[in-house]
Amino acid sequence: MTIRSFDLLQPRSLAEASDLLLKHRDEARPIAGGTTLVILMKQRAVHYPYLVDLQSIPGLNRIAKEVDGIRIGALVTHRTVELSRLVRNSFPVVAEAFSTIGNVRVRETASVGGNLAHADYRLDPPPALLLLKSEVTLFGPGGSRVIPLKDFFTGMYETALEAGEILVDVKIPNMPTGSKAVYLRHSALSANDWPCLGVAALVSKENGRVRELRLALSGLAATPVSVDGLEFVRDCSFDDSVLDRILGIVDEQIAPFYDLRGSEWYKRRMARVFVRRAIAQLESQA
Amino acid sequence: MKREITLKINGREETITVEDADTLLEVLRDRFRLWSVRESCGVGACGTCTVLLDGRPVSSCFLLAVRAAGRNITTLEGLSDGQSLHVIQQAFVSQRALQCAYCTPGFVLAVKALLDEIPNPSDEQIREYLSGNLCRCAGYADILRAARLAQERQISKETAMPRK
Repeated sequence: MTIRSFDLLQPRSLAEASDLLLKHRDEARPIAGGTTLVILMKQRAVHYPYLVDLQSIPGLNRIAKEVDGIRIGALVTHRTVELSRLVRNSFPVVAEAFSTIGNVRVRETASVGGNLAHADYRLDPPPALLLLKSEVTLFGPGGSRVIPLKDFFTGMYETALEAGEILVDVKIPNMPTGSKAVYLRHSALSANDWPCLGVAALVSKENGRVRELRLALSGLAATPVSVDGLEFVRDCSFDDSVLDRILGIVDEQIAPFYDLRGSEWYKRRMARVFVRRAIAQLESQA
Repeated sequence: MKREITLKINGREETITVEDADTLLEVLRDRFRLWSVRESCGVGACGTCTVLLDGRPVSSCFLLAVRAAGRNITTLEGLSDGQSLHVIQQAFVSQRALQCAYCTPGFVLAVKALLDEIPNPSDEQIREYLSGNLCRCAGYADILRAARLAQERQISKETAMPRK
């Protein structure tokens, strides 16, 4: 046996799962798709005497269409999102982001909730979901609460989840009318690797005039970054001076650091390249 | 924790006692001697431990065996009828799409999952689907040819003998 012995607890409801997490505190961890967590346990990077199996709770693996968007259950796999007609038609940028992760086997097992709750700084889905101002539902001892995904990421591998709380689903509001979005990832190592950085961009237009630009990034700080202060682009065209101002704002809001996939200097340079490329791609589609 | 689970391995129901911490790969190799299931990278990147779980490709090296309880597991051993090679295996042989063959079971199962999901894939789709299987003898060109040949033969076989 490669993994140190543990007990897999299989609750039948969120309330029961929450109780188990509260009871065992730091000795327990929820397990969703069990991709990253099981690998980390195999490598003995982490050990938990108890795993609380979220797969045994019914109803967490659904994608539901709602009037103002879609709701994706925490246990929905990356592959299901990638292939979902609903997601592909209405939120192609989300399908695109999930389809770039790892390989088909990883995407068959890894879950949407697990990906978000792991809160790694260089994952593909967070920029696409942040771009669309998604919200997450958390269930805990005090009941349910809904918070913006932006506020869910609090630090490297750290989230707003409190003791006994479980991520239940992510709500993606409909794309603004007249908008297009794109997700670009830069792989510094192999294509199946984590990205060096990811850039999601959205441009919405009205009568050919720019109404809004949104940017969300990953791999460029301890948490995914939703870029603020881009309101000035309204009614502008993306000429060199406007692009320079955008890139300046991005540069101020990121805090990249050295890892296997590049130095801080390199990542700042690549952030410029990929933000520019994402905007150019959206402009060329217009 | 130890517990008794039932796995449907290559069409047979098997009830065994496993530890919660046992991976499916450990169970398939150590308990059922299914040597086609191989561990290499151990992190889901290389594809040598590929099995089909209810027909979908997964990495058995990081799948907890208890979570596969009640599901259909197909390994390479379950692909053919035990007498003749499966059409995908035949294509790998005829295209010499193997050298040391350590990666081959994973590739064959990946091609099986691909063709079940997309019966007529583009070259790009084949490459993308197989991108998570690594061959260090670097036989990719032969493997891609084998995948294409298997697809063509499977199509012609289905045209000749429509499914019941």
